Amino acid sequence: MPFLEKLLRVKWFVLAVIALPGLWPAWPLWQQNPSVLADPLKFILHHFGFWACVWLAVVLTFTPLRVLFPKSGLALALNRHRRLVGVSAFVYAALHFATHLVYEGGFAILASDIKKPFLLTGLIAFTILLVLAITSLHAAVRWLGGKRWKNLHRLAYVAAALAAYHQAAARKIFPVQVLLIFGPLVALELMRVVRLAGRQSASRPVAAPTRE
Amino acid sequence: MNIRTPQDWELPESAVTAESLYQLRPRRDFLRTLGIGLAGAALSSRHLLGATGGFPSLENPAYPASALKPTPYEFITSYNNFYEFGTDKADPKMYANRGWKSEPWTLELAGLVRAPAKFDVNDLIKQLGGIEQRVYRHRCVEAWSMVVPWDGFPLAKLVALADPKPEAKFLKFTTLLDRVSMPGQKDNIIEWPYVEGLRLDEANHELAFIATGIYGKAIPNQNGAPLRLVVPWKYGFKGIKSIVKIEFTAKAPRNTWNLMAPDEYGFYANVNPNVDHPRWSQASERVIGGKGFAGSRQRTLMFNGYEAQVAGLYKGLDLAKYY
Repeated sequence: MPFLEKLLRVKWFVLAVIALPGLWPAWPLWQQNPSVLADPLKFILHHFGFWACVWLAVVLTFTPLRVLFPKSGLALALNRHRRLVGVSAFVYAALHFATHLVYEGGFAILASDIKKPFLLTGLIAFTILLVLAITSLHAAVRWLGGKRWKNLHRLAYVAAALAAYHQAAARKIFPVQVLLIFGPLVALELMRVVRLAGRQSASRPVAAPTRE
Repeated sequence: MNIRTPQDWELPESAVTAESLYQLRPRRDFLRTLGIGLAGAALSSRHLLGATGGFPSLENPAYPASALKPTPYEFITSYNNFYEFGTDKADPKMYANRGWKSEPWTLELAGLVRAPAKFDVNDLIKQLGGIEQRVYRHRCVEAWSMVVPWDGFPLAKLVALADPKPEAKFLKFTTLLDRVSMPGQKDNIIEWPYVEGLRLDEANHELAFIATGIYGKAIPNQNGAPLRLVVPWKYGFKGIKSIVKIEFTAKAPRNTWNLMAPDEYGFYANVNPNVDHPRWSQASERVIGGKGFAGSRQRTLMFNGYEAQVAGLYKGLDLAKYY
């Protein structure tokens, strides 16, 4: 897919793809859709949370894609935008969190949030993304050093697991969208694990047959 | 011959609230909201009359619309939880008005009663002596609220009609099961049909109500046409929609949400700001159609503001345990 690869090199295109979902709520609001106007902030709250989950799940697929398909130009093109997509996940999460505060009527709600697993998981996931966004600056990478930085940024997987739970718990019935968002990531990671295990067993010397 | 003694709250026909007084929204908004365009002529007669048995709808002065600020009609009819037509708030309005029919409709009264029967809805309302208007607070378990001017009749009248046997202690309500015309029922997200229950004394409480209309119009499909339970001191999910059967039982029936997640939804489901849902607080609620863009949030009242009337039903009951 050389065309898509080329397109992914155009920075403003990537930026537009990431930013457009943020503007989408304006449409039904402008349309005066009564189902949305009944509680417009709730619509916006869910919308930003949804896209925070999407970009977090998307950015985490980049590494396994590169490992599984090392020759794919597309995987390489995507990996150039790891930081941008990762920071975007944080920006959407920050908008989601800010909307939550307005929706609930201020910072007082945080005292109640930490008592509910549904809200606490979201809060922790957001905190992780905040730390990762700050340490994604060049200066922070230099200051931490490559290895420590890498270890710290593995917390993104923890954030993804927490976000998946948080999103699933937001509705009365398990929302299928959680599987659609995080399913591909889980599948890719499983493939990676299977390949890794295969390689390890291949490189290991054949064990002597055991006597019964 | 049918001789009826008027209740003390019943008004003479001369005191009927004129429709013009009910115009919290212009009427053309109603029609637009209902999606009545060219086919309007045929539809509007049903929407204007609905299941009234031909009786005028009288305002019950004990529950006047002026006592609370009713939520605009378009929000009441566009923001619905009716999973039979989809799980999104906008789904019921869209999918319940694509050929699904709430007329003709038969209600069955069954179980431990002396007068088991099947009624056509309009015949039933004629027999019950018409409908009345009451404005009630409505509090969803999802922590949002509305104020709805309902039309309908007290559930107690229906109980009297069924004439329960002494061993009857509970009522079990069932929604229509129709996987073809109710698209949500094709997904087994919950066990269909939807069922709900009340204690007999709760059902006989003056506040327990069966709605047949909203804002003086026939109740829209998405709000549970043609018969929908309204128990204003309980969370909205107790308000089972599109009822086809009421069965009187000796044992407490299970209700759908309690079957789904017993640690989150109980049988009673009384509105209680002091007992949280495991996943979110119930101390306050968002007001649907609230002020401005940011909307508004208000404190949730014990028994949704009907504590004085209903607290007596639960004397000695641990409300944290029997949530």
